[in-house]
Amino acid sequence: MGEVILEMKEIDKTFPGVHALDHVNFEVRKGEVHALMGENGAGKSTLMKVLTGIYTKDSGSIIYEGKDIEFHGAREAQDAGVVIVHQELNMVGHLTVAQNIFIGREFKKGIKIDDKKMNEEAKKLFDRLNIDIDPTATMSDLTVGKQQMCEIAKAISHEAKVIIFDEPSAALTESEIEDLFKIIRDLREQQMAIVYISHRMDEIKVITDRVTVMRDGCYVGTLITDECTKDDIINMMVGRVIYEEPKTKSMVAPDAPVVLKVEHLNAGKMVQDVSFELRKGEILGFSGLMGAGRTETARAIFGADPKESGDIYVNGEKVVINSPQDAVKHGIGYLSEDRKRFGIVVQKSVAENTTMADLPNYIKGIFINKKKEREVAQKFVDSLNTKTPGVDQLVVNLSGGNQQKVVIAKWLCKNCDILIFDEPTRGIDVGAKNEIYKLMNKLAAEGKSIIMISSEMTEILRMSDRVVVMCEGRKTGEIAIEEATQENIMNMATREIG
Amino acid sequence: MKKKLLATLLGVAMVASLLVGCGSSAEEAAPAAEAAPAAEAEAPAAEEAAAPAAGDLEFKIVVKSFQSSYWQAAVTGVNQAAEELGVSVECNGPNAESDIADQVNMLTNYINAQPDGIGLAACDQSAVLDALQMAMDAGIPVVCFDSGVPDAPAGSVLSTIATDNYGAGATAADNLYAALKDTIASATAPVRIGEVNQESTSESITQRGLGFIDKFTELAKADGYTVAVVGNEFYVNGAKDKGDEASANIIIEVAVPAQTTVELCATEASAIMNKSDVIGMFGSNQVAAEGILSANENLDVLGTEPGTKILAAGFDAGSVIKQAIRDGKMFGAVTQSPLAMGKTTVETLYAIANGETVSDIATDGYWYDTTNMDSADIAPNLYD
Amino acid sequence: MEIKKSKKIFKQEVIVFLVVIALLLFFCLMSPDFRKYTTILTIMDYSYYIVLMSIGVTFPLITGGVDLSIGTGLICYSLAGGYLVVHAGWPTGLGMLVSILFGVAIGTLNGVLIGVMDLPPFLATLCTCMITRGLGSICAKNFGVSWPTAGTPGSWFRSIFKITVNGTKLPLGFVWVLMLVLIMNFVLKHTKMGRYTIAIGSNKEAAILSGINVKFYHIMAYVISGFFAALASIAYSAVFATVQPGTGAGFELEAIGGAIVGGVSATGGAGSIVGSLIGVFVICLLKTGLPFIGLQANWQQIVTGLVLIGAVMVDIIKRKREKK
Repeated sequence: MGEVILEMKEIDKTFPGVHALDHVNFEVRKGEVHALMGENGAGKSTLMKVLTGIYTKDSGSIIYEGKDIEFHGAREAQDAGVVIVHQELNMVGHLTVAQNIFIGREFKKGIKIDDKKMNEEAKKLFDRLNIDIDPTATMSDLTVGKQQMCEIAKAISHEAKVIIFDEPSAALTESEIEDLFKIIRDLREQQMAIVYISHRMDEIKVITDRVTVMRDGCYVGTLITDECTKDDIINMMVGRVIYEEPKTKSMVAPDAPVVLKVEHLNAGKMVQDVSFELRKGEILGFSGLMGAGRTETARAIFGADPKESGDIYVNGEKVVINSPQDAVKHGIGYLSEDRKRFGIVVQKSVAENTTMADLPNYIKGIFINKKKEREVAQKFVDSLNTKTPGVDQLVVNLSGGNQQKVVIAKWLCKNCDILIFDEPTRGIDVGAKNEIYKLMNKLAAEGKSIIMISSEMTEILRMSDRVVVMCEGRKTGEIAIEEATQENIMNMATREIG
Repeated sequence: MKKKLLATLLGVAMVASLLVGCGSSAEEAAPAAEAAPAAEAEAPAAEEAAAPAAGDLEFKIVVKSFQSSYWQAAVTGVNQAAEELGVSVECNGPNAESDIADQVNMLTNYINAQPDGIGLAACDQSAVLDALQMAMDAGIPVVCFDSGVPDAPAGSVLSTIATDNYGAGATAADNLYAALKDTIASATAPVRIGEVNQESTSESITQRGLGFIDKFTELAKADGYTVAVVGNEFYVNGAKDKGDEASANIIIEVAVPAQTTVELCATEASAIMNKSDVIGMFGSNQVAAEGILSANENLDVLGTEPGTKILAAGFDAGSVIKQAIRDGKMFGAVTQSPLAMGKTTVETLYAIANGETVSDIATDGYWYDTTNMDSADIAPNLYD
Repeated sequence: MEIKKSKKIFKQEVIVFLVVIALLLFFCLMSPDFRKYTTILTIMDYSYYIVLMSIGVTFPLITGGVDLSIGTGLICYSLAGGYLVVHAGWPTGLGMLVSILFGVAIGTLNGVLIGVMDLPPFLATLCTCMITRGLGSICAKNFGVSWPTAGTPGSWFRSIFKITVNGTKLPLGFVWVLMLVLIMNFVLKHTKMGRYTIAIGSNKEAAILSGINVKFYHIMAYVISGFFAALASIAYSAVFATVQPGTGAGFELEAIGGAIVGGVSATGGAGSIVGSLIGVFVICLLKTGLPFIGLQANWQQIVTGLVLIGAVMVDIIKRKREKK
């Protein structure tokens, strides 16, 4: 490990309502692979965005190569040698590999772009990194892993000194990860400073030299990888503070019937052989890290994405669900994690949104029975305690929590007995969160069955009667609430897959 | 003062049109119009107002489009008459002759503006019927020009000023047949005459097309030939005798493009002109005739010697057609007198406003070719 | 793998070219009158303006947008230039220059509306389509304009597209059109302009993150489209006798249709100018050939529409395959 090339001191950043970074310290040395870890929302990405100038910091200082600097945008950081390899690939699919690597700074011969030279330069770059990719290949024809390699090559071709990998292995196969590590080691040899953001505990142990852990926007500590255990890191990530009283005992009657049974469900890479049961009146927590395949599982069950194989039983009967319509027919409702995109039509009124899924019941002749629609909507506004000036209010004007209630009303209106809540409290403030929790408990008590996908450990522990844990598209554990702890859930969520 | 006058005139027009409405023909309308001054006499204020009426009269003219210089000449005539009579006239028309709905819209707007009279060249015979009823209900006299509206509500159209289009089409057939007579006589196989009509919805175009077909058939039959009409269904069914294609000596093939544009007319024309048995062509308006000329740009089959070249007859004028006739590309054409027609329209409206009786006026179509196109009685009608 | 892909694009053009040949053979077989040199001349004459529009509109299409204003624009530019030549006595060359500048101006307007003000391309160009339709009629005082006819002074521009050598008419315009196709093919494939056009259509976000001046290149795509619509207006004026105000709507569909038949992706990112050229000939062949086999005008439009549906379906199926 060489000298410190980059140091971030007391970085502070507040977004409206959220203290995203609370005086965070971070440093990285030349020739070091430094892991940045933390739960979802711990502030890792925000910190890196502050570094590369995508966000401006409120206070604190960044010292790069001995100088106090502040970048204004990714381009400026790039020119100075600080580059990010994004989790989402930023590639132009219709262009070739070489054209992508040099996009924005093409070699030219007169007015003609010198593709030949670009191919040669790309080839040299790949040779240096020991990557075997044809520079003339069309980008969209490459595997995701190869595309990732190109992204790395592109980053390096900027004369990078600090490279930040944001969850680089998320979409890679085992052998591709091997290749990636080889490249990272080579880069380390060349005295580059590497920041490695990942959830995969095993990778951290293999590739990194030091680990910095963040939690809730705060800096927790930095460890030398070889001197710590996986449990040490997990303890630092989850912390000791429990904000909410966890549920201590399942509220489900032991003889409650199984309302939904999923067997050996397969749907692409993110849903592999998932099986579970859901009982009447149960809140089944789905825990796991981002990209564990929970949303994909829910969407496959709901018929929003195609399934490859697997059986679904509703109330003991085998059903075929090929589309959301089928799912709704069988009483399954899905509350998307992205309300604005999938859950509600924000420019429509509360009443219109409430009856949207059940409109045929509100049609008189060719007209919508507005009176009945408003009555029913009002009923749900009252029973869910939705705070709105009236059922004619446009949903866009409601707060996040109340929007969520409108979505819930929509599915209740459709008489759905099985509700899948995907991140039900994302983007909702604390007070409203409690209301949603109360509402979920009430629904469960009334005999509705709920699958709750959540990335918040406290939420899982507080609400679930039982917890299913997923990791990389597989179910890696199932645990009764009585035995669930942050540690054992996190352990399953980060488990190595053989 | 002006309001009063308007009200009075309106009253007059209403009474007149009401009475006209009772009658079933223009002749019967005559006494009604005569009755109008009597109504005026009962309103002394109107009497003195009637004298300076000319200066305050306002007419609206709706033309079919501004697509060809034909309408330019008509509008010129309208403006000339307006100046001479000291009335104000506003002209409007849709972008293309196929924009039927636009024209109806313009017409309705004009009716709502309550002018003293409307001159109309209808793009479509049936689309304007409701508007004409509206005009009659509002007491606004309408004069149709260029194209008549045969099914107009009785009494809504006080006069139709139009070329006898059927006759004009026949004129073209007369001249073309005369020139082709020997070629037909010496032919060993059936020969073909092509006809391009830009559409099949307006009366003027369809009448010309049918006039040509019927007259040509009549002349050929008189000489002992058999004739068949093929192509566009409207014209085939509209012809007096559509004949039988298999046994005919003379085949008249009619083409209508999907839109009224030169390049589509040209495409249709060149499809016909490519056939080896074609001896004559007829384009029933300026666009269709120019389409035939555009097609000839490449085919180079048009000329004035029967037998070796295809003889093409056009319709209307314009610089392109005139030049083609001078150059011997086009055999000849039929012209109307758009200028006179425009002028007469305003004069007729003026007469109606002054309580005079009017009836339909038919204007003639004249054949012109290299021999007479510079003569004094033809040249003024040949607008550019 | 990469070789397979380039072959695939190549293949699309070859397939469409084979369709052109097949159509030619079909019409020749069905109609003896079609088998004439003059038919080729006619097809050429009537194809120039569509090909030129299609070259231009390929750029907006590749950015994932569209330019609906080129059809009425063509008529508008021609009327404006022609009016000055015929009625104001300007030299023909100057009139043509006015047409071209007019086209570039409308193209720039489209580009700014779409690239800078973020209007949806369909909407923005639909508006300019209406604007040019009205503007053209105003420019020509509502009357048709006949550019100088063959043989009259100032008619030299007609021989740009067709010359007579030893009594034989030669479709000279095809040479120019072909040259422009090759030049723009080079621009699309081998210059920054083209590359960034593809990048915008394929992944605009990535293009922005790569530090490309996306706004500028987005505007330029529409400027090119406007410029070629103006060149098309000259071709149209040279081939047809009279330019009528109020027409032109629908021309753009033939050009866009041709481009899509020729393999330009309806969602952007992919396509070639050579493909567009060949695609336009499919449309032109149908337009010219169908009357020869005695198909009535309205049926011709139906057949052309069906062919377009077929081409778009192929594009969609192709994209679905690529996704897999």
